[in-house]
Amino acid sequence: MINMFFHNLKYTFKIIFKSKSLIFWTFAFPIILGTMFSFAFSDIEKKEQFEIIDIAVVNNPLKENEIWNTFLKELSKENENQILNIQYTDLKQATEWLEQEKISGILNLDSEEVLIVKKNGINETILKFAMEEMKQTETLLKTIIESPEEKQMLFQQNRNKLFENIEKIRQETTNSIKDISTNNMSYTMIEYYTLIAMTCLYGGLLGMIALQKDLANMGSVGKRSSISPTTKKTMILSSMVASYIIQIIGISLLFFYTIFILQVDYGNHFFLVILLTIIGCLTGLALGIFLASALKASENTKTGILLAVTMFGCFLSGMMGITMKYVVDKNIPFLNQINPANLITDGFYALYYYDTTERFYKNVVSLILITILLIGTSIIFLRRQTYDNL
Amino acid sequence: MTIFKTFLKILNKNKGIVILYSIILIFFAGFNLQTNDNTMQFEKEKPSIFIINHDPENTFTKEFVTYLKNNSEVVELEETKEAISDALFYRSVNTIIIIPESFGENFRNQKNPEIEIKCTGTYESELTKMMIARYFNVAKVFFSISSTEENFDKIKEIVEKEMKIEMTSKLNTQELKRVANYYNFANYSILAGCVYVICLILSSFKKENIKKRTIISSINEKNYNRILLIANSLFAMLLWFFYCFISFFLIGDIMFTKQGVGCMINSFVFTFCAVTISFFISNVLTNKNAINGVVNVLALGSSFLCGAFVPTELLPESVQKIAHFFPSYYFINNNEKITSLENWSLTNLTPILTNLMILLGFSFIFILFNNFLSKKRRKSS
Amino acid sequence: MKKIIEIEHLTKEYKEKKAIDDLSFNVYEGEILGLLGPNGSGKSTTINCILSLLNFQKGSIQIFGQEMTPSSYEIKKEIGVVFQEVAVFEELTVYENIDYFCGLYIKNKEQRKQLIEDAIQLVGLEQYKKFYPKQLSGGLLRRLNIACGIAHKPKLIFFDEPTVAVDPQSRNNILSGIETLRKNGATIIYTTHYMEEVEIICDRVMILDHGKIIASGTISELKKLTQIEEKVTVEILGLLEKEINKMKELQNVIDVNYQNGLLIITYKKGENNLPKLMEYFKKNKINYQKIYSERPTLNDVFLELTGKELRD
Repeated sequence: MINMFFHNLKYTFKIIFKSKSLIFWTFAFPIILGTMFSFAFSDIEKKEQFEIIDIAVVNNPLKENEIWNTFLKELSKENENQILNIQYTDLKQATEWLEQEKISGILNLDSEEVLIVKKNGINETILKFAMEEMKQTETLLKTIIESPEEKQMLFQQNRNKLFENIEKIRQETTNSIKDISTNNMSYTMIEYYTLIAMTCLYGGLLGMIALQKDLANMGSVGKRSSISPTTKKTMILSSMVASYIIQIIGISLLFFYTIFILQVDYGNHFFLVILLTIIGCLTGLALGIFLASALKASENTKTGILLAVTMFGCFLSGMMGITMKYVVDKNIPFLNQINPANLITDGFYALYYYDTTERFYKNVVSLILITILLIGTSIIFLRRQTYDNL
Repeated sequence: MTIFKTFLKILNKNKGIVILYSIILIFFAGFNLQTNDNTMQFEKEKPSIFIINHDPENTFTKEFVTYLKNNSEVVELEETKEAISDALFYRSVNTIIIIPESFGENFRNQKNPEIEIKCTGTYESELTKMMIARYFNVAKVFFSISSTEENFDKIKEIVEKEMKIEMTSKLNTQELKRVANYYNFANYSILAGCVYVICLILSSFKKENIKKRTIISSINEKNYNRILLIANSLFAMLLWFFYCFISFFLIGDIMFTKQGVGCMINSFVFTFCAVTISFFISNVLTNKNAINGVVNVLALGSSFLCGAFVPTELLPESVQKIAHFFPSYYFINNNEKITSLENWSLTNLTPILTNLMILLGFSFIFILFNNFLSKKRRKSS
Repeated sequence: MKKIIEIEHLTKEYKEKKAIDDLSFNVYEGEILGLLGPNGSGKSTTINCILSLLNFQKGSIQIFGQEMTPSSYEIKKEIGVVFQEVAVFEELTVYENIDYFCGLYIKNKEQRKQLIEDAIQLVGLEQYKKFYPKQLSGGLLRRLNIACGIAHKPKLIFFDEPTVAVDPQSRNNILSGIETLRKNGATIIYTTHYMEEVEIICDRVMILDHGKIIASGTISELKKLTQIEEKVTVEILGLLEKEINKMKELQNVIDVNYQNGLLIITYKKGENNLPKLMEYFKKNKINYQKIYSERPTLNDVFLELTGKELRD
């Protein structure tokens, strides 16, 4: 029995490693996709912070509006805090630029300061905030200057000094807001989590193909295996062990690649990350077993179904945009509670995000339940030794 | 006609997978659209916050809380760790603000007390941070001068000053953004749909012995290829039509505007380009099993790299440069341009037309490649 | 003689029709039993039932004197099957394929190695050990299919149409291989479309139609079943309807058939049928080019019993 087990194990390895399309889906595709993520998202967090915005300032009576001038100069100073890139021009030219989107906004300092923008967007919002800040500081200064008691005090300082003081206070303020959020989820992390979920489930392909060859009702090779004196249990078990081992090899490769080449940080709970991955792979395997045993269709169709189901699951768990996951979680929570791709993604998410591991283990348990359900159903089909039809 | 009929028969044979694929793709697009909230707009509702106040009695703290309440949406939450984590996780709240004990007193005495926040790290939470900082700045300036109660009114007056904004564009940007998003997603849907289905069908036509048979038959090869191209284009157009059709339901009236029509025309040209790409791939690809892989890599890859899923401006520069080699880039770039185009003068249309020409140029190159390849194939077989 | 397989009242019904209808027969040690029948007559279904792959409604199957069940692993050890469709792995070489299937029967590696070599030699694939199935022609693929089924030297072998669409060289190779297997002591059940093959290698033949045995016995026994005893073929040009009708009246003649210059006359048992016919031609001044007499073939038997040509 042991002999037959290893014999079939060895050949299952051989068959899987020789099958180009299997290796593509379970080994190469996740790595390709991961590389693309890293291309696409490498800058995203940096970019979410401010970038220098081009604006035009028109109708600027330089001498009269000293405060604004000082501010604008300050904001467009070429250092790491630079926010604006300013061009002084007339309204006609500026409007043309705005139309062509060469600039994001026009600051019209005519009588009342007006910000002219073309549309709604990130730059425009930042611009609005910056301008508002200036306006408020302007009012602040005016208020201070106009208030009688303080007047004398301020006379002793020149205006520049006052501005510096306000800058100093601003610095302090930044320090007085302490961000104690646990890790904030980044776009990139969720992408890698869905990638791992995808790889776990794609691994089901291996189990599916490996199992097909043992089942008489799924093809001629299966018939040949069924009439041999090796028991069905041995065959199935060793095929499953073989595909599971290959799955683990595949996912380890992905981990190595993402950790060492793409520099992805999976956080501190490395043991739990591994645990979740191992269970995720098992769910993938169960999905493969289920498709192999319960569905009578060509290998290509089954492959198509597994790929489509997995892709869809990943879509719902945020691969093509994290908002998707929030919306499904909020509105159709049931869908994501039975979606293994989401359970895996959510498990990683929970580890990274939550202080407690409660949510993580809830996901793990759900995954195990789904796995048991899938395998249990498959066993009903697998127990059958003779068939009505071949 | 025979070729065309055969084409339809093969299509019919594969209708299950074709329909499945089309439905999934369109479902993706529609679903994606419904969920794509635009966090990047200042006219959006105020950021949602939750305040844990350990200093409820102090007058300054009260003032501060009132300010927060005026400028944001305060959410009802249970004050437990789980509830807070969940709320942040699902983004029902953007920022949790924890005001420590005797915060107000310390602030007035210029002891620089810290307040703690927990946030989602999204755009809204950044705005909330700025909002808090702004209040503190103003308050500190006043308290550095005196610590009288009068300050409160002054502070209030200042922090509530708003910038006057004029928007030149009369376009419904929010709605148009949805149009752009929907059609950007077409890069995935239409590309994947076309390449998958066309490669599937052509692989039947190109089976070794069938190909030999057609080569020895009396039909002119160019003619044969042309008919195949037309037949497949018709299918692709059907896919395109369906995709546009759905957009009327999902996005609504705005599709009847110039911008909406522009996007449809743009996607039409792109669909044609996708057909030529599909032909090219089916020419290069000999293995039927490889179709699925190539489709996924190509459709997902170009979508990620060219900004179909993530706004282009968020992509790193180097990636944007690489993206120029893909037709998808010009298609997506055009969607953005069209939906923000207000004045449809020739000068403004030039960049859009240039992009369309580039797309056609790509198609032309792929057609040339195809002819070259099939000629070479023919000789070698 | 020792019974290897005993089948009694086997009945298998699909939803719409009876595939096997109360079938009973035995297979004896050392014989080659030919199973003949048109498509859909129940040959493959019978084999699949015997192998416990298909379930059936009624009847019993005993192999080596024991009841056959899906878990009769001791029995399975001694059985080899060559299926109609080629059942090999695309991803494995010729050698590996044989090793895989043989390995499901034989644990000992040394022993297995020898068995594989023997099998490869038997089907003549010595030069193709390292080839992948894709690289093999149809005939060679069939031979590989056989090698996979018989490498473990089973005592009982089923061949389900092993020579369909095979070139003459491979077919001869396969047939002589089967002979060798029998010489080595195997009992063989052989289904086929090809009458000539049955006549060459089978000791006993069963003809199935609609899941029933319509005739069985040795080849000569079967031939006796028909009235036809002799068949005379004449190459002849421009024969008139009148003359054909006249010939039908001749002694012992069952039927006369004339098509494309070929005249076929079938006779009942009788003496000197051929000389009498030649005499008749001479007398009536009918010129012919060639004339020859044959014993009826199984095909004729089959045709008469089922009313169908076997090869459709």
